[in-house]
Amino acid sequence: MTSSPRIGDRAGAVEPPRRRARSGRGPRASEGRWVLLFLAPTLIGLAVLSAGPILATLAISLTKWDMLTAPQLVGLDNYGTLLGDDRFLKALRNTAFYTVVSVPIGLTLALALATALNQQIRGIAWIRTAYFLPLVTSATAIALVWLWIYSPTGPLNDILSAFGIPRQRWIADPVLAMPSIIAMSIWQGLPANVIIFLAGLQAIPAEYYDAASVDGAGRWGRFRKITLPLLTPSMFFTGVLALIGAFQVFDQVYVMANPGKPGEATITLVYFIYEAGFRNFKMGYAAAGSWIMFLIVAVATIVYFRTQDRWVHYQ
Amino acid sequence: MSMQAATARTARRSATRRRRKLVRQAGQYSALVVGGVAMMIPFLWMLTVSLKTRAEVFSSSPLFFPSGLHWENYSKMWFALPGVTFGTFFQNSIVIASLATLGQVITCSMAAYAFAVFDFRFKRVLFAMILATLIIPFQVVLVPNFILYRYLPWPFSESGNWIGTNLPLWVWAFFGGAFGTFLLRQFFLTIPSELADAARVDGANPWQVFLRVYVPLARPALATLAIFQFMWSWNDLLDPLIYLRDLPSYTTTVGLAFFQGQFVGKWPEMMAGALVSLLPMIILFVIAQKYFVRGITLSGLKG
Repeated sequence: MTSSPRIGDRAGAVEPPRRRARSGRGPRASEGRWVLLFLAPTLIGLAVLSAGPILATLAISLTKWDMLTAPQLVGLDNYGTLLGDDRFLKALRNTAFYTVVSVPIGLTLALALATALNQQIRGIAWIRTAYFLPLVTSATAIALVWLWIYSPTGPLNDILSAFGIPRQRWIADPVLAMPSIIAMSIWQGLPANVIIFLAGLQAIPAEYYDAASVDGAGRWGRFRKITLPLLTPSMFFTGVLALIGAFQVFDQVYVMANPGKPGEATITLVYFIYEAGFRNFKMGYAAAGSWIMFLIVAVATIVYFRTQDRWVHYQ
Repeated sequence: MSMQAATARTARRSATRRRRKLVRQAGQYSALVVGGVAMMIPFLWMLTVSLKTRAEVFSSSPLFFPSGLHWENYSKMWFALPGVTFGTFFQNSIVIASLATLGQVITCSMAAYAFAVFDFRFKRVLFAMILATLIIPFQVVLVPNFILYRYLPWPFSESGNWIGTNLPLWVWAFFGGAFGTFLLRQFFLTIPSELADAARVDGANPWQVFLRVYVPLARPALATLAIFQFMWSWNDLLDPLIYLRDLPSYTTTVGLAFFQGQFVGKWPEMMAGALVSLLPMIILFVIAQKYFVRGITLSGLKG
């Protein structure tokens, strides 16, 4: 699998060539023991730390549990309460807004940037380093500097007021808070998407462009007729990652919105889960929120995969 | 004569073309450089603010450079919290990130080897399950994992269980992981089976084949996984926030977030702290950029 993996087929995409011909017999018993040895840590992890706990989350979500007294079975009560909880609904709405705005803008910018960076000119490695740097930085530290950028006496307001635009409160403003966080996240998320797009661009054979040039296609024509269609697998891939990543926003919100206390303007789904479970110790309630998040992500991912055939072109 | 004129004309035309190409390249070049600087601006501001006096941050325009280099902001930041220094946070982060990295490298390469080399029942189902966990946000299992660690005994902690220790932040790494298994399996599949066969003829068992053939050959892929896991552990905020209870056990990220809550408005110190916390990753990135790029393109997963 190289630059543009097809997620849906990942499991079966690259089948290992059969190592030893064993004329249809199954693996030797002794080999089975080796497999078990190599897989033991993974199997335990899967059962106890990842796949198992998803079911455990469902079970816990049916209880009322403060971790001090024994859990009480309450059926679907938590879900009912959640749907009437204003803070949860706000978290849902903010997360949805964040996803719907940040994913398309982020991907479009990344595509433009990757196209610009896809050139063999001297010093391009250094230029790329500058663009890629946000990739490795923690959202926590980044949020601090953006907090200053957005502060009342910060540079953003300085620049705007130079143009006669009044100073804004950005993070503290109920309407502007989420867009402000989105702008920062797009900046930080750019490198990863650019890198995937760059790999996709570099996998497009140069002959395609040569042939199109001979046929009289201009730059824009070549971009639209060759680059875009051949890049759809990369777009699909970055789309999945961006979608799942968008549901997980936490760090920025925690740091920027007056640590640990985001108002209703910026609270996100993960923050809500964190708050319910680890601040208020309502484990059942937090688990119910988690399970809803799981369902939303699962449905969104499945729907997204379903659209694959309609717009993704595999060579 | 006319031949000469024609040659001259061609030469002139190609010169024009060359010049036009040069101009276009210069344009692209400067656009890329300007864009690169724009991407770096938050980092540059972090640096300039960290060197200003507090008064300067509020009075002078943020766009200007500091009047002098106030390095004392860094020492103020380092010793700002009672009883602990920023060095303690660093140490905690290094310990946790190193152990998590070690665990992932060992157990993911083992699982990847099994998937790449052996045939066994339920192989496809199992591999699909592992990949599925890539798509599921880990926050979904926060609650059950917390409860699990809450009931695992630990005699040396105040709580008597794993809560308040750094165990929940790295022990999991010794039980496999989807990203690493996928990444390494892809790599192992490219290793010709003849090499393993040769070792086997020499009497090596699968474990020895794994250690002597596969692991040495997979060094670049192992480095990629190691670098990513180290970065994720270093940058993680949510997990340390949940599991670490007292200041001396905080990681750099939690320490930084805590710092911000305590010192609202102390921008120079805060920026100094942010910059110092990023430094190890920035250095790692400049040294090992190709591994980052490879890791992203190979499986493109951010966490």
